[in-house]
Amino acid sequence: MSAYSPVVEEGLERMLAMVRGDFDLSWMDSNPTGWGHRVQPGASGLGLRDVDTGAYGVVPEYGSSHGSMAPRGCFVPADTPSLGMYDLNEKATVWSDNAAMLYDEAVTRQWNSVTDVPWHKLQKLPDDIEKAVCQMCTNFTEVEFVAGDMPAKWLCHINHDFHEVKLFLATQIMDEARHMDVFRKRALANGGGLLMASPGNEALLAAILQAPNYTTASALMHIFGEGFILTLFRAGEFLAPTEVEKTIFRLCMQDEARHVAYGVKHLQYFVARHPEMMEEIHHILGLGEEAIFRLTLEPQTLEPRAILAGKGVENIQLGMTRLAFLYNKQITEYLQRLKIAGIDRLPRMKIPAELPALGPEV
Amino acid sequence: MSSAVCFPSVDWFERLANAMRKEVERFQELGTTDCTMVVKVDLGALGTRIYEIGFEGFEITEIRELSSLEQAKASHFVVEGSLEAWREMIENIRRNGAPDLEHTLNYLTLPDVPLRVSGPDQLEIDAFYRYNETIQRFFNGAAGIATRYERVAI
Repeated sequence: MSAYSPVVEEGLERMLAMVRGDFDLSWMDSNPTGWGHRVQPGASGLGLRDVDTGAYGVVPEYGSSHGSMAPRGCFVPADTPSLGMYDLNEKATVWSDNAAMLYDEAVTRQWNSVTDVPWHKLQKLPDDIEKAVCQMCTNFTEVEFVAGDMPAKWLCHINHDFHEVKLFLATQIMDEARHMDVFRKRALANGGGLLMASPGNEALLAAILQAPNYTTASALMHIFGEGFILTLFRAGEFLAPTEVEKTIFRLCMQDEARHVAYGVKHLQYFVARHPEMMEEIHHILGLGEEAIFRLTLEPQTLEPRAILAGKGVENIQLGMTRLAFLYNKQITEYLQRLKIAGIDRLPRMKIPAELPALGPEV
Repeated sequence: MSSAVCFPSVDWFERLANAMRKEVERFQELGTTDCTMVVKVDLGALGTRIYEIGFEGFEITEIRELSSLEQAKASHFVVEGSLEAWREMIENIRRNGAPDLEHTLNYLTLPDVPLRVSGPDQLEIDAFYRYNETIQRFFNGAAGIATRYERVAI
């Protein structure tokens, strides 16, 4: 009786045959139409768009039915088993025309929290300012990785023929890992620490993670959530007490804008092909709007920025007034991004388009 | 006789582009940039001056003066403000070698005063956020440019 299974025995026999010179080599001629491909690197290197040309650049409306991880454009043997997990097979459900470009951009624009932040410029700050910075960083540490968990949840559903989207989403997961890491690092780096979590934020995070399909999850996260956070990153840079926070927020801002760019173009692509899904998209945006407005009830979310804007807890009221414009900017940009995607949200928005004046101009 | 270059002018932006070329490795570290930035400088009674600067990969591909915004490439964002606001930013960079906390592009544009970012649509405006570190470093090149500010009529 053999010590090995039939598969291993067969493999051993095959290896012995090869040692005797019995090779197959049929793979060498398996894909004649895909052979002889030439590429031309661009001025800044060889990008995804430079290699995915000709037949390799043709993205099918429906991904291959073999259900495997075989790369688009190769010959797939008939006995290739399906992995049984790829059910996002329609291009429109994940596609964005800028995905390949954003992937190339993302891989060249990676940074790291170890050496790209001038940590040596940290300085002792007044207690109220350090606490405000640490609370803001606690919030960002808490929320940022939802934009890693959400794509991770859907990646193993996306057909491999849409590799541009999968690759871009993989860069987003790395971006969010960096954000979670850098905000935690900042909270712990200057004599302070993490402060209070935000139950209100969890409601929004749950809505993103529990969205019924990829596109509604993307609309809520990429456009609504990350669009709002993008403005908060800009505000973080604006309010930063040292060059350290300034750098962190500028670098994070860039990443976030890439994610928003994917989300807008995906929604645009999807809505043009599935107008019947408009109601579902409006519904989830409404959930997000109400969830984010509830955050105004949480002192740990708003007050730290007001302290930074007032340059101290004694001027927190003044700081609140100074920050009123941020909300209006968030809403304006949100509505404009949805407009590009083909959605007129203003008449259906569940929160005010503008905040009333919060106090005298200062 | 001073060798200072006038702001705003094509020459002045060419000097920034040259500074960028000289330290291309530092820009490569930041990654590729693909956008068109339009700089609009309000000269008061003397009108406005408009410049288009094209970023592609790790290079500046084009710098030109426009007679109106309509001449700009379809895809662009605009950073605009008074000559005084631009002057303060440039002089701050020149004094410190880089902007202090209150003179970064993001700081100056977030509240829409003294500088403001606009564009034909929101995704174009978002490009300013997406490439902000590169654009900031581009303007940081002003630290090495002797600059004069003349209100030259168009």
